Amino acid sequence: MLYLQVLLNGLVLGGLFACIAAGFSLVWGVLNVINILHGSFIVLGAYAAWYGHALWGIHPFVSILLVAPLFFALGYAIQSGLLNRVIAAPVLLTLTLTFGLDLMLSNAMLAAFKADFRKLVLDPPLGVLSLGNIVLPVDRLAAMALALLLTLLLYLVLSRSRTGRAIVAVRMDREAASLMGVNVYRTYAITFGLGALMAGVAGPLIAMIFPISPLTGPVYLGKAFVVCVLGGLGSVPGAMVGGLVLGVVESFAALWFGPEHAVTVAFALLIAMLVFRPTGLLGRKGYE
Amino acid sequence: MSLLRTSLAAIALGLAMPALAQDVIRIGAPLPITGPLSPEAVKQQRGYDLWAETANKAGGVRVGDRRMRVEIVYVDYQSNTPRAVQAAERLITQDKVNFLFSPFGSGAAKAASTVSEKYQVPTIAATASSAQVYDQGYKYLFGTFTPNDTLTEPLADIVKAQAPGVNRVAILARNDLFPLAIAQEMEKSAKARGMRVVYSEKYAIGTLDHASALTQIKAQAPHWIFATGYTNDLVLMRKQMADLKIEAPIVTMIAAPAYQEFIDSAGKGAENITSAAWWHPAVRYKGTDIFGTTEAYVQAFKAKYRADPDYGEASASAAGALLQMAIEKAGTLDRQKVRDELANLNVTTFWGPVKFGPTGQINSLVPPVFQIQGAKPIVIHPPEVKQGDLRLGVQ
Amino acid sequence: MSNPAMAALHTAARRDLGLACLLFALMALPPFVADTYILRLGTTMLMYAVLALSWNFIGGMAGYPSFATAAFFGLGAYAGGVAQKFGIGMWLAWGFAGLLALLFAAALGLALLRLRGHYFAIASLVVAEVLREIINSATDLTGGGMGLNLPLRTGQSVEQQADFFYWTMLGLAAVAMAATLAVQHGRLGFGLRCIQQNESAADMLGVNTTATKTSAFALSAVFTGIAGAIYASWVNYIEPPDVFDVLYSVKPIVMVLLGGAGSAFGPIIGAGVFLGLEEIVWRRFLEVHSGVLGLLIVLLVLFLPRGLAGIARRRARGHTP
Repeated sequence: MLYLQVLLNGLVLGGLFACIAAGFSLVWGVLNVINILHGSFIVLGAYAAWYGHALWGIHPFVSILLVAPLFFALGYAIQSGLLNRVIAAPVLLTLTLTFGLDLMLSNAMLAAFKADFRKLVLDPPLGVLSLGNIVLPVDRLAAMALALLLTLLLYLVLSRSRTGRAIVAVRMDREAASLMGVNVYRTYAITFGLGALMAGVAGPLIAMIFPISPLTGPVYLGKAFVVCVLGGLGSVPGAMVGGLVLGVVESFAALWFGPEHAVTVAFALLIAMLVFRPTGLLGRKGYE
Repeated sequence: MSLLRTSLAAIALGLAMPALAQDVIRIGAPLPITGPLSPEAVKQQRGYDLWAETANKAGGVRVGDRRMRVEIVYVDYQSNTPRAVQAAERLITQDKVNFLFSPFGSGAAKAASTVSEKYQVPTIAATASSAQVYDQGYKYLFGTFTPNDTLTEPLADIVKAQAPGVNRVAILARNDLFPLAIAQEMEKSAKARGMRVVYSEKYAIGTLDHASALTQIKAQAPHWIFATGYTNDLVLMRKQMADLKIEAPIVTMIAAPAYQEFIDSAGKGAENITSAAWWHPAVRYKGTDIFGTTEAYVQAFKAKYRADPDYGEASASAAGALLQMAIEKAGTLDRQKVRDELANLNVTTFWGPVKFGPTGQINSLVPPVFQIQGAKPIVIHPPEVKQGDLRLGVQ
Repeated sequence: MSNPAMAALHTAARRDLGLACLLFALMALPPFVADTYILRLGTTMLMYAVLALSWNFIGGMAGYPSFATAAFFGLGAYAGGVAQKFGIGMWLAWGFAGLLALLFAAALGLALLRLRGHYFAIASLVVAEVLREIINSATDLTGGGMGLNLPLRTGQSVEQQADFFYWTMLGLAAVAMAATLAVQHGRLGFGLRCIQQNESAADMLGVNTTATKTSAFALSAVFTGIAGAIYASWVNYIEPPDVFDVLYSVKPIVMVLLGGAGSAFGPIIGAGVFLGLEEIVWRRFLEVHSGVLGLLIVLLVLFLPRGLAGIARRRARGHTP
């Protein structure tokens, strides 16, 4: 029974991890850019939801719809304005650039929102679901369901829409896509916008479950890293699998090794994956 | 910004009282004004500023036959311990302060104390309770918090006396100097009274999810859950306990429940949570310090900040008041003499009876134990100031 | 290589050596004139110079973006601290720290140096996190979350201690600089430059890429480890979040980028300029200091990707070291 509860805890969290990582994985896979801003985007989205709720009583589920276009625009602007200039530069420079941008955003949020933690408290609370001995909080279940839904939506966009196919094409072969008439730079910008959008909509979900503070950005970023490596870069199904695996791994690691080691075990797993199977659990790069 | 504000205030005070001597006592206060610990810095600053203002309004500190104004020099160390050490040195060598207040928390206080000891500058730590902070044999460090076991021992006594069926204890601690140290003390106190510690683990700083740990705790069916961490950790933990439907007769959390922020964030979940702290506005002491009685201090704080003081804020004011008493007794700003006076202090203040032990840490306080009842902290120990009794059962 | 090329190389080497000697002679002066706070700043600058010079071996010369600097620094700090806790003398403890860091890097390199680009970057970044948590849990050995205390030095006044640590750090920086020059003008440097340009081609040319990369990685660790140990003795109290701080990995990279990767003096110049800026910002911009740092980094990457030395080089019209 204990194991079942731990497993379910992990799966519920894992769905959220999948959503957190999907956009990050996309940007990394397509642009070969590690977007250090990703964690801060998530936190910014969470604050947007928090303020929406505190000031105007907007439910976080609704905030998702409001936040999406804003973050897409933000991501698009950052990519076309700044990242495009260094897109061909070595990995180190793009990484350092997004790191510097993240410092700026993080500091701005710290100055604006202060470091103390806020909690979005739903009134009335969503309560818990009891199945025999197993207890699952409804807000987490709802967040997990939405997270998986959003990730699925992303996958559909990529596989069904023209823009989506263009993104996949650029991912597979930039030159060939360009020869086929795809505007590569615009595609990059759209991809980054989508990545920012996914981060932004993860924010309200996060706000429902965890206390938020500008300081938590790196924690989400760390999760995104591990999920990407576990699931394979640029692959949305990979992000889903990776997210669920990470959730379960952390849950059981806390049980077997002690709570303070949960994240360490996840990171050790990351290193092991990188060394032995860098293409991730699903094996192939790119989309199916 | 705060340096500017303090300087402007000091200038304004100076201009308003031209009859006073122009000499100033400068006290350095490195604080985590930015970064994760900034909410704590706000509290410390409120405490220090209230003291400085009160002392200056009364004409200044008596130094021999003169009176001197007090000025607090704030430096931001960005919640980064190495920077706290750097800030301490800067205050001493560049800003030429006479005395120092420690940075926030046991870790940074310990780190910075090496600098005060090297330069022989009397330093008062307003927020350092772990005995490990004072175990270097330093002569210039003093602390206003009693050691951690002075919180856990009375708690364990009360539980043993009023809830004799309690004998399974679960402990979950944040892996940080103070939260871990006090959890270790709790373990000792519980075992000393024959209780069984069925779970004792620590969680990493920045943990966002306690579900696994709490699931394990639930499986152990403890009677007493003891959790340590900072406000956000404990708020999250309380919520997840409710999520997992964990109930126990006694739930103790240190140190958040003393803060209004915890009660606000945890809502109904805060009910019946027990805690202990080094001071509470309900205690009643008649002090010989600048504030006088505890009630007078609480009034003064309320008048300035429109809120009740919590123990962190009061400790900062106490640090200032104690320094003032030592200076006035010494009659001089000579660091060695002030240090000696601090070491020999044996007085009652609004903060409580003050006597510093041989390591520099205070050993005379009786920390109050309290419980959140009706969304307010109610003191249940010591008997002289208690406002209510222990209630069992946390859902 | 032909004889004129060899001659040019030797001239360049001698010129660099001369400049380095001059620079370090100048840097030995401050303890005679400056106060303890300035010396503290100077010691910090020299420490970062060591970190930047170290990173330069693996990041600048070999082109592998390593974020493991914090891991080596923290490991060295704790190795030195724990050794002294067991009664080992300070100098010996520092040596032990360097050795441990070197062996650790060599072992780690076997696993990680097979990765390229982003993968290598992430793996190296994560190593620091894992090490930090391991040290955090070994409470009995390292004090865990409660930190580790190192004994205060007795028999030295405050000023003498400040001088001591300044010169010690200066000495370490000088050794790191000497190693940089030796590598840069020698075969190892040649191998590293080949690897950076095109690793497969270098392999085909007969460069032992594994040994070369591992040497660079080990070099990036040994001085960093010793710097960590010296740091621990200097501040007398260390905690895992402090010495494994990711900024110890990031700042040296920014310093090398600022000063100019590929130049032997870039890391030192970058360290000096960066820390000077940081000190000014700390005093002026209380709330937004990390934002200003971020802005500097962004501007640096966008407009000055070759660093300050790049400007100098453009002026000197294309001389390649």
